[in-house]
Amino acid sequence: MRRLAQAFFVAFLLMVFAFLLIRLIPGDPAMILLGDQATEEDVIAYRKLLGIDGSIPSQFGRYVANLVRGDFGVSIRSREPVLSIVQKRLPISLWLTVTTIFMTVLLALPLGVAAALYRRTWFGHAFQIGASVLVATPVFFSGLLLILLFAVQINFAPIAGYQAGFPANLYYLWLPALTINFVLVPVLARILQSSIVETAAEEFVEAAVIRGTQGWRFYWRYLLRPSLAPTIAALGYFAATVVSYAVIIEIIFNLPGIGMTLVDAVRNRDYPLVQGIVFLSGLLVVGLTFMADLVNGWLDPRAKIR
Amino acid sequence: MTTASAGISAVGQLRRFELRRRWRQLNAESRWGVVILALILLLSVSVPLLSPNDPYGFVDQPLQPPSATFLFGTDHLGRDLLVRVFAAARLDIALAILGVSVPIVIGTFIGTLAGTTRNRIAETVWDGLVNALTAFPEIILVLGIVAMVGADVRGLLIAIWISRWAQYARIARAKSLALRDAEFVQAAQVLGYSQLRILIRHIMPNVFSEALAYALSDFIFIIVIIGGLSFLGLGVTPPTPEWGAMLAEGRLYLRTEPWLILFPGFFLSLTAIGVALLAQGLERISKGEDE
Repeated sequence: MRRLAQAFFVAFLLMVFAFLLIRLIPGDPAMILLGDQATEEDVIAYRKLLGIDGSIPSQFGRYVANLVRGDFGVSIRSREPVLSIVQKRLPISLWLTVTTIFMTVLLALPLGVAAALYRRTWFGHAFQIGASVLVATPVFFSGLLLILLFAVQINFAPIAGYQAGFPANLYYLWLPALTINFVLVPVLARILQSSIVETAAEEFVEAAVIRGTQGWRFYWRYLLRPSLAPTIAALGYFAATVVSYAVIIEIIFNLPGIGMTLVDAVRNRDYPLVQGIVFLSGLLVVGLTFMADLVNGWLDPRAKIR
Repeated sequence: MTTASAGISAVGQLRRFELRRRWRQLNAESRWGVVILALILLLSVSVPLLSPNDPYGFVDQPLQPPSATFLFGTDHLGRDLLVRVFAAARLDIALAILGVSVPIVIGTFIGTLAGTTRNRIAETVWDGLVNALTAFPEIILVLGIVAMVGADVRGLLIAIWISRWAQYARIARAKSLALRDAEFVQAAQVLGYSQLRILIRHIMPNVFSEALAYALSDFIFIIVIIGGLSFLGLGVTPPTPEWGAMLAEGRLYLRTEPWLILFPGFFLSLTAIGVALLAQGLERISKGEDE
Protein backbone atom coordinates (compact mmCIF):
# COMPACT_ATOMS: atom_id res chain seq x y z
CA MET A 1 0.00 0.00 0.00
CA ARG A 2 2.75 2.41 0.92
CA ARG A 3 4.56 1.50 -2.26
CA LEU A 4 1.44 2.13 -4.32
CA ALA A 5 0.98 5.54 -2.73
CA GLN A 6 4.62 6.29 -3.40
CA ALA A 7 4.35 5.20 -7.03
CA PHE A 8 1.36 7.49 -7.47
CA PHE A 9 3.22 10.34 -5.83
CA VAL A 10 6.17 9.87 -8.20
CA ALA A 11 3.77 9.75 -11.15
CA PHE A 12 2.19 12.98 -9.96
CA LEU A 13 5.59 14.66 -9.63
CA LEU A 14 6.40 13.42 -13.10
CA MET A 15 3.27 15.11 -14.37
CA VAL A 16 4.15 18.37 -12.64
CA PHE A 17 7.70 18.16 -14.00
CA ALA A 18 6.43 17.58 -17.53
CA PHE A 19 4.02 20.50 -17.09
CA LEU A 20 6.75 22.82 -15.87
CA LEU A 21 9.05 21.72 -18.69
CA ILE A 22 7.66 24.27 -21.13
CA ARG A 23 6.82 26.92 -18.59
CA LEU A 24 10.25 27.22 -17.02
CA ILE A 25 12.03 27.86 -20.29
CA PRO A 26 13.69 31.25 -19.98
CA GLY A 27 11.80 33.58 -22.30
CA ASP A 28 8.71 32.93 -24.36
CA PRO A 29 8.82 29.50 -26.04
CA ALA A 30 6.57 30.72 -28.85
CA MET A 31 9.04 33.53 -29.59
CA ILE A 32 12.00 31.14 -29.42
CA LEU A 33 10.37 28.81 -31.92
CA LEU A 34 9.18 31.48 -34.31
CA GLY A 35 12.13 33.85 -34.23
CA ASP A 36 12.15 37.64 -34.19
CA GLN A 37 10.16 38.19 -37.35
CA ALA A 38 7.01 36.54 -36.01
CA THR A 39 3.73 38.39 -36.25
CA GLU A 40 1.51 38.95 -33.23
CA GLU A 41 -1.11 36.48 -34.50
CA ASP A 42 1.46 33.74 -35.07
CA VAL A 43 2.77 34.08 -31.53
CA ILE A 44 -0.73 33.89 -30.08
CA ALA A 45 -1.57 30.86 -32.21
CA TYR A 46 1.65 29.12 -31.13
CA ARG A 47 0.99 29.84 -27.49
CA LYS A 48 -2.36 28.18 -27.92
CA LEU A 49 -0.73 25.20 -29.62
CA LEU A 50 1.69 24.82 -26.71
CA GLY A 51 -1.06 25.32 -24.15
CA ILE A 52 0.64 28.32 -22.57
CA ASP A 53 -2.12 30.89 -22.94
CA GLY A 54 -4.09 32.00 -19.89
CA SER A 55 -3.14 31.87 -16.21
CA ILE A 56 -0.90 29.15 -14.79
CA PRO A 57 -3.63 27.41 -12.71
CA SER A 58 -5.98 27.31 -15.70
CA GLN A 59 -3.13 25.96 -17.85
CA PHE A 60 -2.51 23.23 -15.33
CA GLY A 61 -6.22 22.37 -15.17
CA ARG A 62 -6.41 22.06 -18.92
CA TYR A 63 -3.19 20.06 -19.02
CA VAL A 64 -4.43 17.51 -16.49
CA ALA A 65 -7.84 17.28 -18.16
CA ASN A 66 -6.19 16.65 -21.52
CA LEU A 67 -3.91 14.00 -20.07
CA VAL A 68 -6.88 12.16 -18.61
CA ARG A 69 -8.52 12.18 -22.03
CA GLY A 70 -5.29 10.83 -23.51
CA ASP A 71 -4.49 14.08 -25.30
CA PHE A 72 -0.78 14.84 -25.05
CA GLY A 73 -0.78 17.70 -27.53
CA VAL A 74 0.63 17.75 -31.04
CA SER A 75 4.23 17.73 -32.21
CA ILE A 76 5.31 21.13 -33.47
CA ARG A 77 7.40 19.60 -36.21
CA SER A 78 5.07 17.09 -37.78
CA ARG A 79 1.75 18.34 -36.35
CA GLU A 80 1.03 14.76 -35.46
CA PRO A 81 -0.56 13.93 -32.09
CA VAL A 82 2.17 13.07 -29.57
CA LEU A 83 0.32 9.95 -28.48
CA SER A 84 0.23 8.47 -31.98
CA ILE A 85 3.97 9.14 -32.42
CA VAL A 86 4.65 7.35 -29.16
CA GLN A 87 2.40 4.46 -30.15
CA LYS A 88 4.32 4.08 -33.37
CA ARG A 89 7.81 4.25 -31.81
CA LEU A 90 7.31 2.52 -28.48
CA PRO A 91 7.07 -1.11 -29.76
CA ILE A 92 10.66 -0.92 -31.02
CA SER A 93 11.92 0.17 -27.62
CA LEU A 94 9.86 -2.52 -25.91
CA TRP A 95 11.27 -5.17 -28.23
CA LEU A 96 14.74 -3.92 -27.39
CA THR A 97 13.96 -4.13 -23.67
CA VAL A 98 12.56 -7.66 -23.89
CA THR A 99 15.45 -8.92 -26.02
CA THR A 100 17.93 -7.33 -23.63
CA ILE A 101 16.43 -8.80 -20.48
CA PHE A 102 16.14 -12.23 -22.10
CA MET A 103 19.80 -12.09 -23.02
CA THR A 104 20.75 -10.84 -19.55
CA VAL A 105 19.21 -13.91 -17.93
CA LEU A 106 20.80 -16.23 -20.46
CA LEU A 107 24.28 -14.82 -19.85
CA ALA A 108 24.20 -13.84 -16.20
CA LEU A 109 22.93 -17.12 -14.73
CA PRO A 110 25.82 -19.35 -15.84
CA LEU A 111 28.34 -16.57 -15.22
CA GLY A 112 27.07 -15.86 -11.73
CA VAL A 113 27.02 -19.52 -10.78
CA ALA A 114 30.49 -20.11 -12.19
CA ALA A 115 31.83 -17.00 -10.47
CA ALA A 116 30.44 -18.26 -7.16
CA LEU A 117 31.71 -21.82 -7.50
CA TYR A 118 35.18 -20.85 -8.71
CA ARG A 119 35.46 -17.77 -6.55
CA ARG A 120 38.95 -18.50 -5.27
CA THR A 121 40.47 -19.52 -8.62
CA TRP A 122 41.84 -17.44 -11.47
CA PHE A 123 38.37 -17.43 -13.02
CA GLY A 124 36.89 -15.69 -10.00
CA HIS A 125 39.56 -12.98 -10.07
CA ALA A 126 39.25 -12.53 -13.82
CA PHE A 127 35.50 -12.19 -13.34
CA GLN A 128 35.93 -9.49 -10.69
CA ILE A 129 38.28 -7.43 -12.83
CA GLY A 130 36.37 -8.01 -16.05
CA ALA A 131 33.14 -7.00 -14.36
CA SER A 132 34.55 -3.68 -13.09
CA VAL A 133 36.03 -2.90 -16.49
CA LEU A 134 32.80 -3.65 -18.37
CA VAL A 135 30.56 -1.76 -15.96
CA ALA A 136 32.71 1.36 -16.21
CA THR A 137 32.88 1.34 -20.02
CA PRO A 138 30.28 3.74 -21.45
CA VAL A 139 27.72 2.01 -23.69
CA PHE A 140 28.27 4.46 -26.51
CA PHE A 141 31.87 3.30 -26.73
CA SER A 142 31.28 -0.43 -26.26
CA GLY A 143 28.44 -0.17 -28.80
CA LEU A 144 30.76 1.32 -31.40
CA LEU A 145 33.38 -1.33 -30.64
CA LEU A 146 30.82 -4.09 -31.13
CA ILE A 147 29.68 -2.58 -34.43
CA LEU A 148 33.30 -2.45 -35.48
CA LEU A 149 33.78 -6.08 -34.56
CA PHE A 150 30.55 -7.72 -35.66
CA ALA A 151 29.20 -5.54 -38.42
CA VAL A 152 32.33 -4.16 -40.08
CA GLN A 153 34.89 -6.91 -39.56
CA ILE A 154 32.88 -10.12 -39.80
CA ASN A 155 29.54 -8.96 -41.17
CA PHE A 156 27.53 -10.78 -38.57
CA ALA A 157 25.02 -8.02 -37.96
CA PRO A 158 23.69 -4.97 -39.75
CA ILE A 159 25.56 -1.75 -38.98
CA ALA A 160 22.34 -0.05 -38.02
CA GLY A 161 18.68 0.16 -38.83
CA TYR A 162 15.54 -1.75 -38.06
CA GLN A 163 12.92 -3.93 -39.65
CA ALA A 164 9.65 -4.62 -37.89
CA GLY A 165 8.20 -8.06 -37.24
CA PHE A 166 9.36 -10.99 -35.15
CA PRO A 167 11.73 -12.82 -35.73
CA ALA A 168 13.25 -10.67 -38.47
CA ASN A 169 13.74 -7.81 -35.99
CA LEU A 170 16.03 -9.92 -33.79
CA TYR A 171 18.69 -9.64 -36.47
CA TYR A 172 18.70 -5.89 -35.81
CA LEU A 173 18.23 -6.10 -32.06
CA TRP A 174 20.77 -8.62 -30.84
CA LEU A 175 23.79 -6.36 -31.07
CA PRO A 176 22.18 -3.37 -29.29
CA ALA A 177 20.89 -5.79 -26.65
CA LEU A 178 24.38 -7.25 -26.23
CA THR A 179 25.79 -3.73 -25.80
CA ILE A 180 23.43 -2.94 -22.93
CA ASN A 181 24.26 -6.32 -21.44
CA PHE A 182 27.90 -5.37 -21.23
CA VAL A 183 26.73 -3.30 -18.28
CA LEU A 184 23.81 -5.36 -17.01
CA VAL A 185 25.30 -8.87 -17.04
CA PRO A 186 28.29 -8.12 -14.77
CA VAL A 187 26.02 -6.38 -12.27
CA LEU A 188 23.47 -9.20 -12.22
CA ALA A 189 26.11 -11.93 -12.18
CA ARG A 190 27.71 -10.24 -9.18
CA ILE A 191 24.41 -10.11 -7.33
CA LEU A 192 23.83 -13.79 -8.05
CA GLN A 193 27.38 -14.67 -7.09
CA SER A 194 27.22 -13.00 -3.71
CA SER A 195 23.85 -14.51 -2.86
CA ILE A 196 25.04 -17.99 -3.79
CA VAL A 197 28.12 -17.49 -1.63
CA GLU A 198 25.83 -16.45 1.21
CA THR A 199 23.56 -19.44 0.68
CA ALA A 200 26.49 -21.82 0.57
CA ALA A 201 27.39 -20.81 4.11
CA GLU A 202 23.94 -21.83 5.42
CA GLU A 203 23.51 -24.92 7.54
CA PHE A 204 21.02 -26.66 5.28
CA VAL A 205 23.63 -26.74 2.52
CA GLU A 206 26.08 -28.39 4.84
CA ALA A 207 23.39 -30.86 5.88
CA ALA A 208 22.74 -31.68 2.22
CA VAL A 209 26.43 -32.28 1.64
CA ILE A 210 26.62 -34.60 4.64
CA ARG A 211 23.52 -36.49 3.44
CA GLY A 212 25.37 -37.00 0.20
CA THR A 213 23.11 -35.03 -2.12
CA GLN A 214 24.89 -34.68 -5.41
CA GLY A 215 24.68 -33.50 -8.98
CA TRP A 216 21.98 -31.29 -10.42
CA ARG A 217 19.63 -31.84 -7.54
CA PHE A 218 22.17 -30.39 -5.12
CA TYR A 219 23.04 -27.37 -7.27
CA TRP A 220 19.45 -26.50 -8.04
CA ARG A 221 17.60 -27.19 -4.77
CA TYR A 222 20.26 -26.24 -2.27
CA LEU A 223 22.31 -23.58 -3.99
CA LEU A 224 20.60 -21.89 -6.88
CA ARG A 225 16.92 -21.82 -5.94
CA PRO A 226 17.33 -20.30 -2.48
CA SER A 227 19.63 -17.63 -3.98
CA LEU A 228 17.44 -16.44 -6.81
CA ALA A 229 15.23 -13.88 -5.06
CA PRO A 230 17.60 -10.88 -5.21
CA THR A 231 18.48 -11.68 -8.81
CA ILE A 232 14.86 -11.76 -9.95
CA ALA A 233 14.14 -8.56 -8.08
CA ALA A 234 17.12 -6.87 -9.73
CA LEU A 235 15.87 -7.97 -13.14
CA GLY A 236 12.71 -5.96 -12.58
CA TYR A 237 14.73 -2.82 -11.86
CA PHE A 238 16.91 -3.55 -14.88
CA ALA A 239 13.88 -3.36 -17.15
CA ALA A 240 13.53 0.23 -15.95
CA THR A 241 17.25 0.89 -16.49
CA VAL A 242 17.07 -0.36 -20.06
CA VAL A 243 14.51 2.33 -20.87
CA SER A 244 17.15 4.89 -19.84
CA TYR A 245 19.96 3.22 -21.77
CA ALA A 246 17.74 2.85 -24.82
CA VAL A 247 18.07 6.60 -25.42
CA ILE A 248 21.76 6.34 -26.29
CA ILE A 249 21.65 2.83 -27.76
CA GLU A 250 18.91 3.71 -30.23
CA ILE A 251 20.98 6.58 -31.57
CA ILE A 252 24.08 4.44 -32.02
CA PHE A 253 22.24 1.62 -33.77
CA ASN A 254 19.82 3.86 -35.59
CA LEU A 255 16.75 2.20 -34.10
CA PRO A 256 13.75 4.50 -34.56
CA GLY A 257 12.40 3.88 -31.05
CA ILE A 258 11.19 6.18 -28.33
CA GLY A 259 14.70 7.20 -27.24
CA MET A 260 15.67 8.41 -30.66
CA THR A 261 12.39 10.31 -30.90
CA LEU A 262 13.15 11.99 -27.57
CA VAL A 263 16.65 13.05 -28.61
CA ASP A 264 15.36 14.41 -31.93
CA ALA A 265 12.63 16.27 -30.11
CA VAL A 266 15.14 17.86 -27.71
CA ARG A 267 17.34 18.88 -30.65
CA ASN A 268 14.40 20.39 -32.56
CA ARG A 269 12.95 22.10 -29.50
CA ASP A 270 9.74 20.21 -30.14
CA TYR A 271 8.51 20.99 -26.61
CA PRO A 272 5.15 19.16 -26.67
CA LEU A 273 6.83 16.01 -27.91
CA VAL A 274 9.57 16.22 -25.25
CA GLN A 275 6.91 16.80 -22.63
CA GLY A 276 4.83 13.83 -23.76
CA ILE A 277 7.75 11.42 -23.99
CA VAL A 278 9.28 12.48 -20.68
CA PHE A 279 5.92 11.89 -19.02
CA LEU A 280 5.05 8.62 -20.74
CA SER A 281 8.46 6.96 -20.54
CA GLY A 282 8.82 8.18 -16.97
CA LEU A 283 5.45 6.59 -16.23
CA LEU A 284 6.64 3.37 -17.83
CA VAL A 285 9.72 3.32 -15.60
CA VAL A 286 7.71 4.10 -12.48
CA GLY A 287 5.32 1.27 -13.37
CA LEU A 288 8.16 -1.18 -13.95
CA THR A 289 9.87 -0.20 -10.70
CA PHE A 290 6.60 -0.59 -8.84
CA MET A 291 6.12 -4.07 -10.26
CA ALA A 292 9.69 -4.96 -9.36
CA ASP A 293 8.99 -3.78 -5.82
CA LEU A 294 5.91 -6.00 -5.66
CA VAL A 295 7.76 -9.06 -6.93
CA ASN A 296 10.59 -8.30 -4.55
CA GLY A 297 8.25 -8.08 -1.57
CA TRP A 298 6.58 -11.33 -2.59
CA LEU A 299 9.85 -13.21 -3.02
CA ASP A 300 11.57 -11.81 0.01
CA PRO A 301 9.22 -10.75 2.81
CA ARG A 302 12.08 -9.01 4.60
CA ALA A 303 12.09 -6.33 1.90
CA LYS A 304 8.54 -5.27 2.81
CA ILE A 305 9.44 -4.09 6.25
CA ARG A 306 12.12 -1.76 5.03
CA MET B 1 62.86 8.26 -3.84
CA THR B 2 65.17 6.40 -1.46
CA THR B 3 67.86 8.96 -0.70
CA ALA B 4 66.73 12.37 0.39
CA SER B 5 68.86 15.00 -1.33
CA ALA B 6 70.12 17.93 0.66
CA GLY B 7 67.82 20.42 -1.04
CA ILE B 8 64.62 18.91 0.25
CA SER B 9 63.18 20.56 3.30
CA ALA B 10 62.02 18.71 6.37
CA VAL B 11 58.41 19.53 5.53
CA GLY B 12 58.76 18.00 2.10
CA GLN B 13 60.27 14.88 3.60
CA LEU B 14 57.48 14.60 6.10
CA ARG B 15 54.91 14.96 3.37
CA ARG B 16 56.58 12.26 1.33
CA PHE B 17 56.66 9.99 4.31
CA GLU B 18 52.97 10.60 4.84
CA LEU B 19 52.24 9.78 1.18
CA ARG B 20 54.19 6.57 1.41
CA ARG B 21 52.30 5.55 4.53
CA ARG B 22 48.98 6.18 2.75
CA TRP B 23 50.16 4.19 -0.24
CA ARG B 24 50.94 1.20 1.98
CA GLN B 25 47.41 1.23 3.37
CA LEU B 26 45.92 0.77 -0.09
CA ASN B 27 45.09 -2.61 -1.57
CA ALA B 28 45.95 -3.76 -5.10
CA GLU B 29 42.72 -2.51 -6.64
CA SER B 30 42.92 1.01 -5.34
CA ARG B 31 46.63 1.19 -6.19
CA TRP B 32 45.84 0.37 -9.80
CA GLY B 33 43.12 3.02 -9.70
CA VAL B 34 45.57 5.62 -8.41
CA VAL B 35 48.19 4.68 -11.01
CA ILE B 36 45.70 4.87 -13.90
CA LEU B 37 44.29 8.21 -12.76
CA ALA B 38 47.72 9.69 -12.13
CA LEU B 39 48.81 8.63 -15.61
CA ILE B 40 45.78 10.21 -17.26
CA LEU B 41 46.15 13.41 -15.26
CA LEU B 42 49.84 13.62 -16.09
CA LEU B 43 49.21 13.10 -19.80
CA SER B 44 46.31 15.53 -19.91
CA VAL B 45 48.47 18.22 -18.37
CA SER B 46 51.67 17.55 -20.28
CA VAL B 47 50.56 16.59 -23.78
CA PRO B 48 48.68 19.78 -24.75
CA LEU B 49 51.43 21.77 -23.00
CA LEU B 50 54.38 20.14 -24.73
CA SER B 51 52.91 19.54 -28.16
CA PRO B 52 53.34 22.34 -30.68
CA ASN B 53 49.99 21.44 -32.26
CA ASP B 54 46.80 23.31 -31.48
CA PRO B 55 43.80 21.06 -30.66
CA TYR B 56 41.62 23.25 -32.86
CA GLY B 57 44.05 23.85 -35.70
CA PHE B 58 44.78 22.07 -38.96
CA VAL B 59 48.19 20.41 -38.85
CA ASP B 60 48.45 17.96 -41.71
CA GLN B 61 46.57 15.88 -44.25
CA PRO B 62 43.23 14.61 -42.77
CA LEU B 63 42.52 10.99 -41.73
CA GLN B 64 46.12 9.81 -41.41
CA PRO B 65 46.55 6.56 -39.51
CA PRO B 66 48.68 6.62 -36.34
CA SER B 67 52.35 7.19 -37.17
CA ALA B 68 55.55 8.38 -35.55
CA THR B 69 54.76 12.04 -36.24
CA PHE B 70 51.10 11.76 -35.21
CA LEU B 71 50.92 9.05 -32.55
CA PHE B 72 47.11 8.84 -32.67
CA GLY B 73 46.77 9.89 -36.32
CA THR B 74 44.82 12.90 -37.60
CA ASP B 75 41.05 13.42 -37.69
CA HIS B 76 38.69 14.32 -40.54
CA LEU B 77 39.67 18.00 -40.37
CA GLY B 78 43.39 17.28 -40.25
CA ARG B 79 43.81 17.97 -36.56
CA ASP B 80 46.24 16.13 -34.28
CA LEU B 81 44.18 13.48 -32.49
CA LEU B 82 46.73 13.01 -29.69
CA VAL B 83 46.48 16.62 -28.60
CA ARG B 84 42.69 16.56 -28.95
CA VAL B 85 42.30 13.42 -26.85
CA PHE B 86 44.22 14.92 -23.94
CA ALA B 87 42.74 18.37 -24.31
CA ALA B 88 39.43 16.52 -24.02
CA ALA B 89 40.71 14.75 -20.91
CA ARG B 90 41.23 18.14 -19.26
CA LEU B 91 37.74 19.31 -20.17
CA ASP B 92 35.93 16.09 -19.29
CA ILE B 93 37.63 15.64 -15.94
CA ALA B 94 37.13 19.30 -15.05
CA LEU B 95 33.45 19.16 -16.04
CA ALA B 96 32.92 15.94 -14.11
CA ILE B 97 34.53 17.42 -10.99
CA LEU B 98 32.35 20.49 -11.40
CA GLY B 99 29.37 18.19 -11.90
CA VAL B 100 30.08 16.23 -8.72
CA SER B 101 31.08 19.09 -6.44
CA VAL B 102 27.91 21.17 -6.57
CA PRO B 103 25.42 18.36 -5.80
CA ILE B 104 27.63 17.07 -2.99
CA VAL B 105 27.57 20.44 -1.23
CA ILE B 106 23.89 21.19 -1.89
CA GLY B 107 22.78 17.65 -1.17
CA THR B 108 24.79 17.37 2.03
CA PHE B 109 23.51 20.72 3.25
CA ILE B 110 19.87 19.92 2.51
CA GLY B 111 20.23 16.43 3.93
CA THR B 112 21.82 17.67 7.16
CA LEU B 113 19.11 20.27 7.46
CA ALA B 114 16.47 17.60 7.05
CA GLY B 115 18.26 15.30 9.45
CA THR B 116 18.52 17.82 12.25
CA THR B 117 15.04 19.28 12.03
CA ARG B 118 12.42 17.88 14.37
CA ASN B 119 9.48 19.08 12.33
CA ARG B 120 7.17 16.18 11.50
CA ILE B 121 5.58 17.69 8.38
CA ALA B 122 8.95 18.61 6.94
CA GLU B 123 10.06 15.02 7.44
CA THR B 124 7.10 13.56 5.56
CA VAL B 125 7.38 15.97 2.63
CA TRP B 126 11.08 15.27 2.57
CA ASP B 127 10.63 11.51 2.37
CA GLY B 128 8.27 11.75 -0.57
CA LEU B 129 10.35 14.27 -2.46
CA VAL B 130 13.72 12.57 -2.18
CA ASN B 131 12.31 9.11 -2.82
CA ALA B 132 10.55 10.43 -5.88
CA LEU B 133 13.68 12.12 -7.17
CA THR B 134 15.83 9.05 -6.73
CA ALA B 135 13.15 6.90 -8.38
CA PHE B 136 13.12 9.12 -11.48
CA PRO B 137 14.63 7.57 -14.62
CA GLU B 138 18.00 9.35 -14.72
CA ILE B 139 18.73 9.94 -18.38
CA ILE B 140 15.16 11.01 -19.09
CA LEU B 141 15.27 13.52 -16.26
CA VAL B 142 18.56 14.92 -17.52
CA LEU B 143 17.26 15.12 -21.10
CA GLY B 144 14.10 16.87 -19.93
CA ILE B 145 16.09 19.52 -18.08
CA VAL B 146 18.49 19.94 -21.00
CA ALA B 147 15.49 20.49 -23.28
CA MET B 148 14.39 23.22 -20.91
CA VAL B 149 17.64 25.00 -20.14
CA GLY B 150 19.38 24.55 -23.47
CA ALA B 151 21.42 21.91 -25.25
CA ASP B 152 24.88 23.18 -24.30
CA VAL B 153 27.49 22.81 -21.53
CA ARG B 154 25.59 25.12 -19.20
CA GLY B 155 22.35 23.17 -19.69
CA LEU B 156 24.18 19.90 -19.18
CA LEU B 157 25.77 21.02 -15.91
CA ILE B 158 22.51 22.44 -14.57
CA ALA B 159 20.74 19.19 -15.46
CA ILE B 160 23.39 17.18 -13.61
CA TRP B 161 23.23 19.45 -10.58
CA ILE B 162 19.45 19.24 -10.36
CA SER B 163 19.28 15.50 -10.85
CA ARG B 164 22.17 14.32 -8.67
CA TRP B 165 21.81 16.01 -5.27
CA ALA B 166 19.09 13.76 -3.86
CA GLN B 167 21.34 10.76 -3.22
CA TYR B 168 23.77 12.89 -1.20
CA ALA B 169 20.88 14.35 0.74
CA ARG B 170 19.76 10.84 1.58
CA ILE B 171 23.18 9.84 2.85
CA ALA B 172 23.61 13.07 4.79
CA ARG B 173 20.21 12.76 6.42
CA ALA B 174 20.80 9.23 7.59
CA LYS B 175 24.15 10.23 9.10
CA SER B 176 23.01 13.45 10.72
CA LEU B 177 20.00 11.76 12.31
CA ALA B 178 22.54 9.82 14.33
CA LEU B 179 24.63 12.92 15.00
CA ARG B 180 22.02 15.38 16.14
CA ASP B 181 22.08 14.02 19.69
CA ALA B 182 25.84 13.55 19.83
CA GLU B 183 27.68 15.09 22.74
CA PHE B 184 29.73 17.54 20.72
CA VAL B 185 26.54 18.91 19.14
CA GLN B 186 24.97 19.34 22.55
CA ALA B 187 28.12 21.05 23.70
CA ALA B 188 27.92 23.47 20.80
CA GLN B 189 24.30 24.18 21.67
CA VAL B 190 25.20 24.87 25.28
CA LEU B 191 27.86 27.28 24.08
CA GLY B 192 25.07 29.19 22.39
CA TYR B 193 26.20 28.79 18.80
CA SER B 194 23.58 29.48 16.20
CA GLN B 195 21.74 26.63 14.54
CA LEU B 196 23.35 27.39 11.17
CA ARG B 197 26.83 27.47 12.63
CA ILE B 198 26.34 24.10 14.35
CA LEU B 199 25.02 22.72 11.09
CA ILE B 200 27.87 23.92 8.92
CA ARG B 201 30.83 23.79 11.28
CA HIS B 202 29.98 20.81 13.46
CA ILE B 203 27.65 18.39 11.70
CA MET B 204 28.44 18.79 8.01
CA PRO B 205 32.16 17.93 8.30
CA ASN B 206 31.24 14.64 9.94
CA VAL B 207 28.71 13.82 7.27
CA PHE B 208 31.05 14.71 4.44
CA SER B 209 33.30 11.67 4.56
CA GLU B 210 30.45 9.34 3.72
CA ALA B 211 29.26 11.60 0.94
CA LEU B 212 32.77 11.62 -0.52
CA ALA B 213 32.77 7.84 -0.75
CA TYR B 214 29.60 7.98 -2.79
CA ALA B 215 30.98 10.85 -4.88
CA LEU B 216 33.54 8.53 -6.45
CA SER B 217 30.90 6.29 -7.98
CA ASP B 218 28.86 9.35 -8.85
CA PHE B 219 31.87 10.73 -10.71
CA ILE B 220 31.79 7.72 -13.05
CA PHE B 221 28.12 8.23 -13.75
CA ILE B 222 28.60 11.93 -14.39
CA ILE B 223 31.60 11.63 -16.69
CA VAL B 224 29.67 9.04 -18.70
CA ILE B 225 26.58 11.27 -18.82
CA ILE B 226 28.69 14.23 -19.98
CA GLY B 227 30.21 12.09 -22.71
CA GLY B 228 26.86 10.53 -23.54
CA LEU B 229 24.95 13.76 -23.96
CA SER B 230 27.78 15.31 -25.91
CA PHE B 231 27.73 12.18 -28.05
CA LEU B 232 24.07 12.88 -28.73
CA GLY B 233 24.95 16.46 -29.67
CA LEU B 234 23.26 17.88 -26.57
CA GLY B 235 26.23 18.88 -24.45
CA VAL B 236 29.70 19.99 -25.45
CA THR B 237 29.61 20.53 -29.20
CA PRO B 238 32.35 20.33 -31.84
CA PRO B 239 34.91 21.75 -32.49
CA THR B 240 35.59 21.70 -28.73
CA PRO B 241 37.62 18.57 -27.93
CA GLU B 242 35.43 16.37 -25.74
CA TRP B 243 35.48 12.57 -25.66
CA GLY B 244 31.79 11.98 -26.34
CA ALA B 245 31.61 14.60 -29.08
CA MET B 246 34.78 13.15 -30.65
CA LEU B 247 33.18 9.70 -30.64
CA ALA B 248 30.15 11.13 -32.41
CA GLU B 249 32.38 12.74 -35.05
CA GLY B 250 34.58 9.68 -35.47
CA ARG B 251 31.61 7.38 -35.74
CA LEU B 252 31.09 8.48 -39.33
CA TYR B 253 34.49 7.05 -40.21
CA LEU B 254 34.06 3.82 -38.28
CA ARG B 255 34.48 1.57 -41.30
CA THR B 256 37.71 3.03 -42.61
CA GLU B 257 39.36 5.03 -39.83
CA PRO B 258 38.45 3.27 -36.57
CA TRP B 259 41.25 4.94 -34.58
CA LEU B 260 39.13 8.10 -34.53
CA ILE B 261 36.85 6.43 -31.98
CA LEU B 262 39.33 4.00 -30.44
CA PHE B 263 41.55 6.63 -28.78
CA PRO B 264 38.94 8.94 -27.25
CA GLY B 265 36.76 5.98 -26.23
CA PHE B 266 39.69 4.16 -24.68
CA PHE B 267 40.75 7.09 -22.52
CA LEU B 268 37.19 7.88 -21.44
CA SER B 269 36.72 4.26 -20.39
CA LEU B 270 40.12 4.15 -18.75
CA THR B 271 39.27 7.20 -16.63
CA ALA B 272 36.00 5.64 -15.54
CA ILE B 273 37.72 2.31 -14.84
CA GLY B 274 40.44 4.02 -12.80
CA VAL B 275 37.86 5.74 -10.61
CA ALA B 276 35.86 2.50 -10.34
CA LEU B 277 38.91 0.54 -9.18
CA LEU B 278 39.79 3.22 -6.65
CA ALA B 279 36.22 3.31 -5.33
CA GLN B 280 35.99 -0.45 -5.12
CA GLY B 281 39.35 -0.77 -3.41
CA LEU B 282 38.54 1.92 -0.85
CA GLU B 283 35.20 0.30 -0.15
CA ARG B 284 36.85 -3.04 0.51
CA ILE B 285 39.35 -1.36 2.84
CA SER B 286 36.63 0.39 4.81
CA LYS B 287 34.72 -2.87 5.13
CA GLY B 288 37.91 -4.49 6.40
CA GLU B 289 37.83 -7.28 3.84
CA ASP B 290 41.54 -7.16 3.11
CA GLU B 291 44.32 -8.19 5.44
